[in-house]
Order: sequence, then structure tokens, then C-alpha cells
Amino acid sequence: MSNNMAKIADARKTVEQLKLEVNIERMMISKAAAELMAYCEAHAKEDPLVTSVPSSENPFREKKLFCVIL
Amino acid sequence: MACQGLQGGETVASLKRESESLRKKLEEERKKLSDIELNQVAEKIEVLGPLSIKTRRVLKGHGNKVLCMDWCKDKRRLVSSSQDGKVIVWDAFTLNKEHGVALPCTWVMACAYAPSGCAVACGGLDNKCSVFPLSLDKNENLSAKKKSVAMHTNYVSGCTFTSSDMQILTSSGDGTCALWDVESGQLLQSFHGHTADVLSLDLAPSETGNTFVSGGCDKKANIWDMRSGQNIQSFESHESDINCVKYYPSGDAFASASDDATCRFYDLRADREVAVYQKDSVIFGASTVDFSLSGRLLFAGYNDYTINVWDVLKGTRASILFGHENRVSRVRVSPDGTALCSASWDNTLRVSWAAYL
Repeated sequence: MSNNMAKIADARKTVEQLKLEVNIERMMISKAAAELMAYCEAHAKEDPLVTSVPSSENPFREKKLFCVIL
Repeated sequence: MACQGLQGGETVASLKRESESLRKKLEEERKKLSDIELNQVAEKIEVLGPLSIKTRRVLKGHGNKVLCMDWCKDKRRLVSSSQDGKVIVWDAFTLNKEHGVALPCTWVMACAYAPSGCAVACGGLDNKCSVFPLSLDKNENLSAKKKSVAMHTNYVSGCTFTSSDMQILTSSGDGTCALWDVESGQLLQSFHGHTADVLSLDLAPSETGNTFVSGGCDKKANIWDMRSGQNIQSFESHESDINCVKYYPSGDAFASASDDATCRFYDLRADREVAVYQKDSVIFGASTVDFSLSGRLLFAGYNDYTINVWDVLKGTRASILFGHENRVSRVRVSPDGTALCSASWDNTLRVSWAAYL
């Protein structure tokens, strides 16, 4: 008897979850894709693996340490 | 509560029919948005220049398969964990091993660096996730300061600190994810919904708010609200286990790597898959993915020992990286986007960066 209750509770949870998922607001792919592209383009100049970024630190070089007078 | 039985003619069968029709409705709603494909929109963007990424460092020291690694925010330190039970903190540029801990269990499948750089978390077959503060004193025994934080009923597959050193998020073979308070070890929130082992999780970039994505053996990728524990969105298009999930840098999308030999890209606002990264010649499972800083490149590690670099927008392969002598278990781009670290079952980690640097 309780096994059936558990199955019903599970099935009800699944239905509630699906209802939530069906009702969310969605965006057309054309708009979503345009925004993804815009992000890439806006950040391409700072991406050292995509474009040569002159300001990127060469990891070989030792970091310059400045003396700090305490 | 005990009396919540059948309501108005409801049976398990009728509820199942209702979920079936809701699932169909969900598919229809998602189809309505497909006015164009991502790679078609991306025809406007310039083709990538030739990619030249070279391995500059090989980190040797683990006695067995390296299963996981994570970068420190300082962009040069990293932590790695292995089947040999050891967790090592390295300076990736000098190859110096700064800390080492031997855990009582083998298969340390997950490790993470704390945002402050002052601690690391790790877990695996011991079903726990433990936090070790990193001492400046090299002679101090790190094991003595170990703090057990998370307790699952099966292996811990992934862990990450949230925005501070105070909370960690874990994923487990027990099918759940959980949020823990590090200081007290208290369970703050648990996330139920996966119907099989959860293999990976990733926190949304801080600007996007309190959500995270998880993927697992039920072939599903779920988006969760960290505060309420609610499963907000769910994606099921892979044909096999999802081994890794990672957010796109803007937080509006995420990528997944699967045993079905594909990586896929899902947009959260369109609520659907928008790209599949696959090739007839790529037949081995993908175990790990990470984006470059701008999100244009997707680095994916495979069981055929290679790393394929995909053009995220155009859907084509930009490059292929060789060097590892066994499966690639984890790839991670460094916090400033300069370097790529790959961990492998060949017991090593490799750090690579662009040839012009």
C-alpha cells in the first residue's frame, strides 16, 4: 500500500517538475545566438588563446618585484 | 501528509500519461524557437586564425592516474589529485611541488582550490569531501589539519568552493549534489533529481546569480537554484553518460562532454541544445571540457588521449592537441586565459600556452 503511495508521490513530483519546465520563458535562437556571438566578439581581444595579446604576461619571465619601504 | 493518497481519480498510470504529454509539450515549445542554427548566425563572424598552442611544462610526480585539477586564482598555482591517493599543490611555472597530502583512500576524483588560495578541497572513493588549509610552513603536516566537510553515501565525483572559502558544493555517485558549510560541516541544501550517478558540476559565473549545472549517468544536465534546491531546467540530448559540464563565461550557456563522443552546447535562455561538436573521426568518449576566456574556443579532452579544440560558434574543429599517453581526464584554462592545463591517466599534467608568448 505504501509502495503505491511512494509511486504516486514520485509521479506527482515528476508532473509538477515538468509543469515548471514547460512554463519558463524562452528566447528565440536567433536572439540567443546573437548574444553569445556578441560576448565572444567583445572579449576576443583579451583572450590570449584567440588573439595575440601584447599585454599578456609571458609565463617564462620572472615577475618583477619592487622594493616596498615599510 | 500520510493521507495524501489518490486525488480525484488520479492513479500512477494517469500521472504517467500526464508527464508524457507534458514532455511532448516541452519538446514542442523548444522547437518553436528554432528559427535559425547557431552556426548559421556565426557565418558573419571571422574565421579563427591558426591556433598554435604548445606544451611548455610537464608536471611529473603522481604515481598513478591524475583524475582532477584546479587552478588557483593567482594564475600560476594548481592543485591535482590522483588514483594514488595523493593531492599535490604545484607552482606550474617553476614545477615546484609546494604541498603534498596523502589521503587514506585511493581514487581522489575531485579537487578544488579555495578562492582565497589558502585551502584546497578534495574527495573521492571515501564518499567525503575534506578541506585542507595550506600552511606556509612546509614542515607542517597537512593531514593533521584536515577537516571533513561533506558526507555522501557514494563516491564524490566533483567539488567546488562557492564564492568564498566558507561553502562547498559537491556532486556524488549517490545521485545527488549538496551544499555544505565548511566550518561546521553542516548540510545547507541538497539537490535531488538525477536518477543515476552525478559526475560533474559547475558553478555559474558570479554575475549570473546563484545557480549551478550538473551532469551525470542519467544523460541529463540539470540547472539548479542553490537557495531553494529547485531544479530549474533540464536537458536530455546526449546518448550516453555526461562526464563533464562547464558554463560559458557569460553564464547564459553551458557545454557538456559525454561518453557518446560528442560535446554539446546548450543556451539557457533558449532552453535548448544549440550546437553539437562531433566528427566521424572522433569516436572515443569526451571526459572534460572548458572554455577559453572569451568563450570562442572549447577545449575538450578525450579517451583517445587527445584534446580537440572546437570553434564554439561555428561548430568546427579549430585544432587538435597531442602529447598525453593515456586518457585526458581534465582540462582547465587558467584564470587569466593564458594557459591550458590538462591532466591525464598517463600520471602527468601538461601546461600549454599560445606559441607567441
